[in-house]
Amino acid sequence: MACDGSGPVGTSPITRRVRRTALIGAAVATVVVATAPFQLDIYTKNVLIRAFFLAALAMTVDVLWGYTGILTFGQSAFFGIGAYACALVATHYGFGPFWFAGSFLIALLAAVAVAWLIGWLAFYHGASPLYASIVTLALPIVFVQLIFAGGRFTGSSSGISSFPSYYWSFETWFWIAGGYLIAVTVLGYLLVKSDFGRVLVAIRENEERCAYLGVPVSRVKILLMMAAGAIGAGAGFGYAAFTNVVAPELGGFLLGTELLIFTALGGRGTLIGPVLGTIGIDVTASYLSGSLPFLWKLITGVAFVVVIVLLPQGLIPILGQGLRRLWPWRRPALASEVALHSFAPTTPHGETPSAPLRTEGLRRHYGSLKVLDGIAIESRGSELLSIVGPNGAGKTTLMRCVSDGGERSSGQVFVNGTEIGRGTPQSVVALGIGRSFQNTNLFETLTVADCLMLARWRIDGASLFARRSEIALPRPAVGILEATGLDQALATETRNLSHGQKRGLELAMVLATEPSVLLLDEPTAGLTKAERTAIGDVLITLAREHGLSILLIEHDLDFVRDISDRIVVLHQGALLMEGTVDEVIASELVKAVYSGQTVEPAP
Amino acid sequence: MMLRPLTIAAIAAALLAAPTAAQETIKIGIPVGLSGANSVVAPSVVQSSEFAAKEINEAGGILGKQIELVVADDNSGAQGAQRAFESLVYEEKVDVLISMETSAARNAGLPIVNRGRTPYIYTSFYEGRSCSPWMYINAWVPEQQVAPIVDHFMSEYEAKSYFLIGSDYAFGRGMLEFTRAYVESKGGEVLGEEYLPMDGSDWTAIISQLKASGADALITSTAGGAPNVTLTKQLRAAGVDLPYGNLAVDEGTAKSMGGDATGIYIAASYVTGIDSAENKAFLEGMAAMFGDDLITPNDLSVPQYEAIYAYKAAVEMAGATDAQGVIDTLDDVSVTGPRGTITMNAQRHAALTMYLGQVQSDGTVNVIQSFENVDPGEQCPQFAN
Amino acid sequence: MANLALDMITTSAILFIVASGLMIILGVMKLINFAHGAFLTVGGYAAYLTTEAGLSPWLAPLLAVAAGFGAGIIVERIIVRPLYHRPLDAILATWGLGIIIGQLITLGFGREVQFAASPMTGTLDLGGVEYSAYRLTLTAFAIAIGAALTALLYLTRFGLNARAVIMNETLARGVGIDSARVRSLTFGLGAGLACGAGALITPLLSVDPNMGLPWLVNSFMLVLVSGVSIPSLAVASLILGSAQVAVSTYVSPIIGGLTIVVLAAVLLRLYPKGLGRGM
Repeated sequence: MACDGSGPVGTSPITRRVRRTALIGAAVATVVVATAPFQLDIYTKNVLIRAFFLAALAMTVDVLWGYTGILTFGQSAFFGIGAYACALVATHYGFGPFWFAGSFLIALLAAVAVAWLIGWLAFYHGASPLYASIVTLALPIVFVQLIFAGGRFTGSSSGISSFPSYYWSFETWFWIAGGYLIAVTVLGYLLVKSDFGRVLVAIRENEERCAYLGVPVSRVKILLMMAAGAIGAGAGFGYAAFTNVVAPELGGFLLGTELLIFTALGGRGTLIGPVLGTIGIDVTASYLSGSLPFLWKLITGVAFVVVIVLLPQGLIPILGQGLRRLWPWRRPALASEVALHSFAPTTPHGETPSAPLRTEGLRRHYGSLKVLDGIAIESRGSELLSIVGPNGAGKTTLMRCVSDGGERSSGQVFVNGTEIGRGTPQSVVALGIGRSFQNTNLFETLTVADCLMLARWRIDGASLFARRSEIALPRPAVGILEATGLDQALATETRNLSHGQKRGLELAMVLATEPSVLLLDEPTAGLTKAERTAIGDVLITLAREHGLSILLIEHDLDFVRDISDRIVVLHQGALLMEGTVDEVIASELVKAVYSGQTVEPAP
Repeated sequence: MMLRPLTIAAIAAALLAAPTAAQETIKIGIPVGLSGANSVVAPSVVQSSEFAAKEINEAGGILGKQIELVVADDNSGAQGAQRAFESLVYEEKVDVLISMETSAARNAGLPIVNRGRTPYIYTSFYEGRSCSPWMYINAWVPEQQVAPIVDHFMSEYEAKSYFLIGSDYAFGRGMLEFTRAYVESKGGEVLGEEYLPMDGSDWTAIISQLKASGADALITSTAGGAPNVTLTKQLRAAGVDLPYGNLAVDEGTAKSMGGDATGIYIAASYVTGIDSAENKAFLEGMAAMFGDDLITPNDLSVPQYEAIYAYKAAVEMAGATDAQGVIDTLDDVSVTGPRGTITMNAQRHAALTMYLGQVQSDGTVNVIQSFENVDPGEQCPQFAN
Repeated sequence: MANLALDMITTSAILFIVASGLMIILGVMKLINFAHGAFLTVGGYAAYLTTEAGLSPWLAPLLAVAAGFGAGIIVERIIVRPLYHRPLDAILATWGLGIIIGQLITLGFGREVQFAASPMTGTLDLGGVEYSAYRLTLTAFAIAIGAALTALLYLTRFGLNARAVIMNETLARGVGIDSARVRSLTFGLGAGLACGAGALITPLLSVDPNMGLPWLVNSFMLVLVSGVSIPSLAVASLILGSAQVAVSTYVSPIIGGLTIVVLAAVLLRLYPKGLGRGM
């Protein structure tokens, strides 16, 4: 499978193409920004300078909402923080190159600190996306209230104006604002087109799945929030320094929702759409809203609702599609140029000093309903342990409790000798657990290669501003890809895969995280007989040759009998019996359970 | 023959001014809150401006040039004001800005006025001490408005202890801070000073504190419109019947509050009931021009009307519309209008006659007392010399 | 002290009335109706029109509920139904709807404050404490609304279906419940409750195009903290409403205005599923 990289290490063809696009785009934009001031009248220049700063802010909204799925009402607060840092320092402390640079630094630091706090509040493991929206909604409300409470110091509702600033020419400010917008947009573009950008999309599409692949979702979101906050504060600082005015509305809730409107109309998840959308809407508003004050707001409201309901992708992409129809030129997909490597897994073979997975007195109850009641099991290396039991026996709950420290009500879980405590899924994954899921809803718009890259993130990391050209996977994972034909379909988006291929990819992703304990929840559901046999062979190989400890939930008892070393039978949340395949098959107790009779667990 | 320097200058000036001078009009920019918080009062300001323009144009204009009004919406806020001022100063290239606006909008416009070097007459009462080399103000500040109410409460009700309630914004705090100082300087006592956020509508806790304080009188300074109405309604619902001075209510709002407003004391530089020939002529002219569409003139729209006349007087005295000349002469001219004879001083503010009124059960305001030429005090000492 | 307790109880009652429509929609439809504030405003204007028509102010809430119910059914069909599977988009679309309603009202009535007659004025003497009669009446209304909603959910066919959809929508559809109809009626009911609440609080507020907006965020916070259950909404209203009054009284009314928002964010961080855990 080894493949020669076609370029220097670290710059894949796709990276080079992304960088070329960014370079051309930036060059064109730079030429436009550099020459435009000489063509435009002062009024339009003024309008555009302010629109550029707002567009930079809208760009961060798109990275957060469009790409990562964090619906934020609060980016305006960071704009406000930047603006007020500029105004307050210049008004109350001093002005000059040193003070100016210092206040810029204060703006960034304050924004980063606030963003960290917001992220810490909003992005804990298990937080609902709605909660994050609430926290971002509260932020501008609190910000504005603090400004009001600041009285003379912050200028209260009247804001502060005519503080000392650099009265450079409009051309200079136009270049500063345009340059800032181009710089942060290029940065954003490289980020969302990088490996890291694919991680963001994966978080948007299936956050839980990301956590179980070892992606530190909370940390990624917090860092992203901090970066977006800093960029927003920079834009706000520039806005205040240019206009010489700050007012509470610059950090308010209404601007926060307006940014969402700009982003939605421009086309979320396109980056350039929200930037152009903001500039377009703001300039139009400058010319129209003066003459149609109320009607203008009504029109934007209607357009917003129509776009959200009927055209969720926004207006700019539709314009783009129209243009493309006129100029039918399509770039070839490049993801296929990703090369797959395999290496021998480093998972220890055979016996390890402690059991790969051991539970003691594991309990899970919802109110008075006991779903798991004092489970003690122990798995061994190189062993296939099947967990069977009728519906509602607690099998899937057991899987959940051993892979997420926050799930169980009491008891202990040891992975390779370490107690998992109340750790998040990604911390449990780091101990050596790999978990696959029943449903095959992976990441709709990610390609097979993206998914594999995502699974390797914990070990290989992801480049912030580049795409990798090669993915190295442990040999068993590559084996599964080859068996299901996925190695030839690396550029295919997962929603276009067959059911069998989705199952294969799911398993390959889990194996790519190099687990020592594999938790599989009905890996053969919905598969053909031939596919089942193939999966069975792979599992046996994984256990025998690579020393994995495999825990398997299965309904197909024939399959269980064929591949298991040992079987655990759960019934109504309790361990009914545990034994070899023959012992369990022969057990009258198990037969009784499966035929629906009431039984008491074995003592 | 040689052209004399003066002729050269005149030709150059004519050429430079060609694009605007060609239409031979004087452009007056009016940035105003057609939408947003000020949209209730803005139409009355536009009406009084239109009336002033019509009167002046019919009488031959200013220095023979007709007046052209350019109205721009500022959305009652900073961002909208930036758009409006930029459009008026840079695109419309107006000769002067005359407007009633929120403090946030005025502050947002000032840097543009300074850069664009355009004279600006601000016609709204406000919290005071806003200074710019290019700005004049012909409406009242706390120093002028608070005294009549407090003096009346002290003499009429022998009120010694006061409770102050306001909206948490620059005007609300500015007014009440001054009120506190004034009450204390007169030997009174302030038992409480409480604020609610501008969009707040639940005054429950504050009203309970007011009732518990045992104050003799109440003075409020909320944001106009909704907060004023909610506070008054809730005060009445809670059975508060203290002497009640409201620094933020005008005749129109008082009317919309129905019976709840009865008995409230207000102080203003204009009420429709002023008994003077100028005011009668003004009201009749307005009624004739707008008929059924007339919005009752008020303490915000009348200063706007007078400011246009002040600008006319300044241009005529300076002999030209050049910005510096107008700024230099604005403090030398006097205008006699519905509010009486008003002269803006070197500190860019004006002494005004203030009227103390009480709202009647039919919503009209009964003038109880008037105070001649109340001085605005030290507003912008940097311009005094 | 008695006065403080009354302030707390009546404030909580008002919050309960205002938030109940939002909770019904969240419970059954699993979406947040950001047009809630605009519906409150519509209720206020219904009260204004009732006054204009010379009808008794007591009729205003009833007319508002009817208007809101009709508007809700239409809005659900046009805007909300396509967004069932995009809950975050539903927030945005209903927010946009709120802008549209606000601007239509502004175009129709102007932005000025309108006058709506109060059904009652003055104070009641409660064993030595003079207290606003209308606030006490609102407390009775809150109890009545809570009881009526409970009866609706537990004693009617619609309530049975709605509860089935709340618990498990797939299963409910499986047993033949027309969940689309349940959703449509629920949205109508939620919008009707919001409009009715708007009409009920009008005597304490001013009628203007933005009157509902300040209530939106607080209702939203309350409903998320309470989860979907009428008793837990009552408890959440009591806790947060009392906290607001206490902070306003003893610390500062400005911080009091932020109390619900901040306290709710913290409570949700500690109890992510809300107090009721009914979701």
